[in-house]
Amino acid sequence: MAERVAIVAAAQTKYHPNRADVSEEELAYEAIKQVLEETGLTLSDMESAITCCQDAYDGRTIASLSLQRVVGAHFGHELTVAEDGINAAYVAVSEVLSGHFETVLLVSHMKESQVEKSVIENCVFDAILMRQLGLDFTSAAALQARRYMDRYGITPEQCAKAVVRNRRNARNNPFAQEPMDVTVDDVIGSRILASPIRLLDTKPISDGACAMIMTTEEKAKKLTKKPVWIAGVSNCYETHYLGDRELADCDALVKAAKKAYSMAGINDPLSQIDVAEISTEYSYQEPLWLEGLGFCGRGEGGKLVDSRTLEMGGQLPVNPSGGVLPGNPNGVAGMARVAEAVLQLRGEAGAGQVEGAKVALAHGYTGICGQHQAVMILANM
Amino acid sequence: MAGRVAIVGVGQTRHTSRRDDVNLPEMVGEAVRAALADAQLSIKDIESFIFSNMESFEGLLLPDHGMITEVGAAGKPGLKVTGGGTTGSEAVGEACNLVSAGLFDITMVVSWQKHDCGDATAGISAAAVPIAAKGLVVGAVSEFAKQALSYINQSGATEEHAAMVRLKADRCACRNPYAHLRLGLKGLEDYLKSGYLVWPIRMLDFCPQSCGACVVVLASEERAKKIHKKPVWVVDFEVAHQEPFSAGSFGDPTGTETYSQDVAAERLYKRNGITDVRKQVDLAEIYEPSTWEEMSLYEHFHFCEKNEGWKLIEKGVTEIEGEFPVNPSGGVIASNPIGATPVIRIAEAALQIRGDAGEHQATRDVKTAIATALGGPNWTAMFLLKRSL
Amino acid sequence: MAKGSPIKKAEGPEYIRIEFDLPRRYNWSTGRYLGKVYAEAKENKKMVAPRCPKCKQLWARPPAPVCPKCKVDMGWDWVELPLTGTIFQYTYQVYPLWDPHEGERWSNPHPPAIILLDNGIYFRHCLEETDTKKLKEGMRVQAVWEEDYEKRGLGFLDILYFRTIEE
Repeated sequence: MAERVAIVAAAQTKYHPNRADVSEEELAYEAIKQVLEETGLTLSDMESAITCCQDAYDGRTIASLSLQRVVGAHFGHELTVAEDGINAAYVAVSEVLSGHFETVLLVSHMKESQVEKSVIENCVFDAILMRQLGLDFTSAAALQARRYMDRYGITPEQCAKAVVRNRRNARNNPFAQEPMDVTVDDVIGSRILASPIRLLDTKPISDGACAMIMTTEEKAKKLTKKPVWIAGVSNCYETHYLGDRELADCDALVKAAKKAYSMAGINDPLSQIDVAEISTEYSYQEPLWLEGLGFCGRGEGGKLVDSRTLEMGGQLPVNPSGGVLPGNPNGVAGMARVAEAVLQLRGEAGAGQVEGAKVALAHGYTGICGQHQAVMILANM
Repeated sequence: MAGRVAIVGVGQTRHTSRRDDVNLPEMVGEAVRAALADAQLSIKDIESFIFSNMESFEGLLLPDHGMITEVGAAGKPGLKVTGGGTTGSEAVGEACNLVSAGLFDITMVVSWQKHDCGDATAGISAAAVPIAAKGLVVGAVSEFAKQALSYINQSGATEEHAAMVRLKADRCACRNPYAHLRLGLKGLEDYLKSGYLVWPIRMLDFCPQSCGACVVVLASEERAKKIHKKPVWVVDFEVAHQEPFSAGSFGDPTGTETYSQDVAAERLYKRNGITDVRKQVDLAEIYEPSTWEEMSLYEHFHFCEKNEGWKLIEKGVTEIEGEFPVNPSGGVIASNPIGATPVIRIAEAALQIRGDAGEHQATRDVKTAIATALGGPNWTAMFLLKRSL
Repeated sequence: MAKGSPIKKAEGPEYIRIEFDLPRRYNWSTGRYLGKVYAEAKENKKMVAPRCPKCKQLWARPPAPVCPKCKVDMGWDWVELPLTGTIFQYTYQVYPLWDPHEGERWSNPHPPAIILLDNGIYFRHCLEETDTKKLKEGMRVQAVWEEDYEKRGLGFLDILYFRTIEE
């Protein structure tokens, strides 16, 4: 990219199963206050705000109406992105690079506790052809998991290993909702939600928010000693109807990753990326998305999960924060991955720090079986 | 903006109250095909998509996902923006940012709303703080009723003026093959026959709920000149949200507060050296959900002095043959698929600049135009379009 | 389907019609600021608003953690609102329109109004007087509370309406 865009601050709230003590606005403000304090900026310094929320989850037409005050939108600019939070970062990059704005505030929030998730998720499916089948994200994911496992011989044990590692890593993450020491047997023994997805294969209900400030290179250097640069970013859509695509592959992710890598000058992801934070709401997604990101060949995700590569201290630690499985709300998950990548590149990830991390990958997805995928490459030099 | 951006293709569907012949993706697909035909491009040339829609009106989640196949976006980058009435403007703004940032050369903005799937008034009432405004907000209608009262008190405008606004909009709409309400109103008597919704807003004072889609194709400077003989340059845009007035949503009855329209207009005009709008700009497509709001917007966009918007209407200045045509397409009062409406304003302004608006082409030559959008509560977006840079 | 949801009938050739019901329930939290308003209304029949530490303006409806204009932290300085004032502006509904909270078409018989409270704050609420011919801007009005404690707990709606008073 011609000029550089930097993240100068990132913050998350501690993820929690039910934040009934706050309204959406107050929840988002908890995260926003942190980034303002960190940079010493005020809401009046924000030239643009990008929010990331869904009308259907907030139960309010124009969901961003709740956030206008806490993002300081009075006589200012505010835009809502209706995909996963990582896409808000994508929009911020375009806003800064276009020269339109120098300082952008991003916030993503979601209170899963206030809705019946399955009912809301059912509203994505085609009203005439699919909705009455009673599909939601979990049952659709089960279809994908089954197809993927059957086609490439990925085993439930391999998927369970992803859970074990993610839940254990979460012990090092002060924002994590449910860090846990589980074994492969615990995961495989947990109750079935939608075969082959079991309770411990997925994440609990979660409420939380994530906020960031992004600026031009010039401004970043004045605001922080540790700016994190966006080296590459891209996203991609897949077809909608489940039968129209090969669920055992994730072509949208392959394309998004390819574009982000080429922007960042990466041609060997496994060796050039030091740490990866990927969004996986279901355990089978870890081997599948890792294939899509090019960390291994097609169908080899299971072997990759089996190996020591992804562990802390391995060649490519994946999700030192624990990722989404210990609890992250939909919609916030991708932006939280970016926030975690920022911590890694600033050397601020505490017990979960990957030593000497210079290049990080953050990933987020939206929709049924990852119909929309987004990848971001970040660097600290 | 870093790189320059131009509109190289526009497409719309015929806006109506029902589209029982197509489902949602098919309706949008019609506009996509129309825009591609206008740009003489194939779907393969489109590098990314920005979607604009207010999903609560159809009761959906992630409605852009459902139409990826029909629209031809599979395997391509893109995302959806959401918001209030200004959603479409944000989408075009973001698409312009992507192009001027050098991330893409050709993007497509796809906007739509299919109001026959739900009820707009109910949807807008649900935008009020869910637990604090029950029964007090009746969609946008009650809010514009309050605005109308404020405007009548402050400017002295009368129902005759509101009738003139509606008659002008209808005359234009009858010349626009895409417009929804083409009523053939004859005069003041027709206006006075229409009943009140929320006093003083009559049925004829207010916009309909329409089903429709609008698509624009944007390209970088380098590609634009090769694609279309008459690219329309998106020179600048400005957005201003605002905290709702203390005593109203779209109108300030106290007369003391600043409107976001004034803020956005001042910034846009200052950056572009516009000191006399009616001399330096040739036409405006503004977002006016009600007749009274149109007159008020004339003032806040500096087409005339404060409290004199109704004079422009009386004198016929803003007619299609007038000195400063406003809404030759019939405007929002004639067609309002909310998610698409701001994009329609931009598309119509572009057609006027190209001289391609057919029967509803303004009489005067249009080299520079403004397209605006209005969202709740009183957010403003403005675009400045030019024939040449 | 919520009772009375708009049934939009397709016109033209015969269409197959399939109905299914999918209620979407929400559990909204008032949070701290709106929660304070609700608590004061329910417990003490008082209407309160936070005051911005910088501009000193009261932000009654709804309260916010950040001052909308100054964009600073609102803090926790609460002021009780006087509940008498004058009618600043009012309108009334003639044509019944769909209300998402009721799930049916209705015309609120109580005219929605902007009331200028005695401390200079504008407050949006409705008027008790359903005969609009008796209404005039500038008339004095007073809030009428829901007296039954069990029925209170609806925040601003614990005030049923504003009643015209003779003065």
